[in-house]
Amino acid sequence: MKQKQDFSSSPDYWEEKIELIEKGKLRDIQLEGLISSFERAKKSEFYKFKFKDFEKIKNIDDFEKLPFTTKFDLVENDPFAFLSTDIKNIVRVHSSSGTTGRSKYIFYTKRDINTWADTVARCLYMIGVRKEDVFQNMMSYGLFTGGLGLHYGAERIGCLIIPAGTGNTEKQLELMKQLKTTVIHITPSYLLYIAHFIEENGLSPKREFNLRIAVVGAEPHSETTRRKLENIFGINVYNCYGLSEMNGPGVAFECPFKDGLHLWEDQYYMEIINPKTGKVLKEGEEGELVLTTLKREGMPLIRYRTGDLTKIIKEKCKCGRTHRKIQRIKGRADDMFIVKGVNIFPSQIETVIMDFPEVDKNYQIIIDRKEGLDILTVQIEIKKDFFKGDINELKNLQEKIREELKEKILVTPIVEFVEPGTLPTTTGKAKRVIDKRRL
Amino acid sequence: MGKQISIFVENKPGKISKITEILGKNKINLKAMTIADSGSFGIIKIMTDNNQKAYEVLKDNNFLVSLQDVVVVEIPDKVGSFHKVAKILERNDINIEDAYGFITQEGVKAVLILKVKDTKKVEEILKNRGYKVIQF
Repeated sequence: MKQKQDFSSSPDYWEEKIELIEKGKLRDIQLEGLISSFERAKKSEFYKFKFKDFEKIKNIDDFEKLPFTTKFDLVENDPFAFLSTDIKNIVRVHSSSGTTGRSKYIFYTKRDINTWADTVARCLYMIGVRKEDVFQNMMSYGLFTGGLGLHYGAERIGCLIIPAGTGNTEKQLELMKQLKTTVIHITPSYLLYIAHFIEENGLSPKREFNLRIAVVGAEPHSETTRRKLENIFGINVYNCYGLSEMNGPGVAFECPFKDGLHLWEDQYYMEIINPKTGKVLKEGEEGELVLTTLKREGMPLIRYRTGDLTKIIKEKCKCGRTHRKIQRIKGRADDMFIVKGVNIFPSQIETVIMDFPEVDKNYQIIIDRKEGLDILTVQIEIKKDFFKGDINELKNLQEKIREELKEKILVTPIVEFVEPGTLPTTTGKAKRVIDKRRL
Repeated sequence: MGKQISIFVENKPGKISKITEILGKNKINLKAMTIADSGSFGIIKIMTDNNQKAYEVLKDNNFLVSLQDVVVVEIPDKVGSFHKVAKILERNDINIEDAYGFITQEGVKAVLILKVKDTKKVEEILKNRGYKVIQF
């Protein structure tokens, strides 16, 4: 870290009372929240119909009988069918970045915006963001929740915010340098790209800036990528989880121990289910994360299937917060692809290739089918300093990566080396997987 | 010491012409070229009249390049002259990792490019046997 900030004068928690709340009390709050959220939801057209056979819920058992809400529900119904309050009370709408098909719309009352901002502030404060910080928000502003969500949270803390948005790397670097940015919010792929860009221009990511923290989110990424980013910039990188359906970023966030993300259980009720059967799994079992808003007024969502795969970490966190942690998202259930009958997540491949120091930060996965057989190709860029002109060295590396991947994903891929700069880098969400089979 | 440039290329049409175009634009004369191929990618090795400049312009054009030491030795353009060099190296227990050449003056002179482990040592050996070692 560049400059150690003195935290001794400021408390460690944004809302100590709620962050350290006793487990039993937290469960009481949750049950209360579930009951009131259910009641509120039933005021909306959508849930009035969906829950027509459910009069009341009194306990968790009742709650677990309620049907799930899915992405499909959100895109197939009239957006306003989800409002549980009059439109005059709604002050904002956000929309998901919808990787497939139609958009999902999320509505907020004034109080919802407030609660959300406060939750995000709680996250940022947890990782040491303070009002002395200069916060450069390099996420897209607008319908996407990533930009405004963190903006409001950082503003709540009192940071100096640079609403930089995405793209225009040169301008971003100029802002970082001239305004002495200390905290950035960015997608991991864009941060990797920036590292690449800085090195290309003969600068040192460690020396050029005053950075101390990066908040990365919006894309699942591996622990290896985090470590890589931390090493390149000499900063702390924290993982942020959220989805627009649950307000946006700040649903769960890493604490300084960087071992799982605290999911704010006073705001959201979490369940982990078997994605195939819908059965609620035991604590610690891996499955799909299902969330229920406990406080949202404008648009409560009940038992919403996030599509994200994770598990609940049972162990108590050293930081003292009682809100249970989830493991780093393994992938979206819909990110997963099947090759030769084997389920594969892009994150599994990323973890393997990022462990090779010879490999640059860009990669792409291409799936194709030839004569009825699936072919998985992983394209990788070689680092410039590694290339010594020796073809055998490259062949050996290719072989090593192929073997390593085969061991992890159980499918033998074709490993292809490509020239630097040929793989697309995006400033938003990186498209890492191209499935040509569907075309 | 002589130098050669190795360039990483994907095995796709148009890759060589991209390289020759860049060299031409920068008024660099290509002396020799050889290609090692490994399926989807290959390595092109070239020697030019200005290797340092060629290395830099290719690098600026985002090529994956590396500058390597090689022995560049002048030999007569006649039957058996490569054999003589090879024999000398054999007697000195030196392994030739890669070799190619080009004619500089038809029927008179040719240039042999040798990739060996210890470039300096080989240059010394050949110089001592009366060969002209060229520094590009």
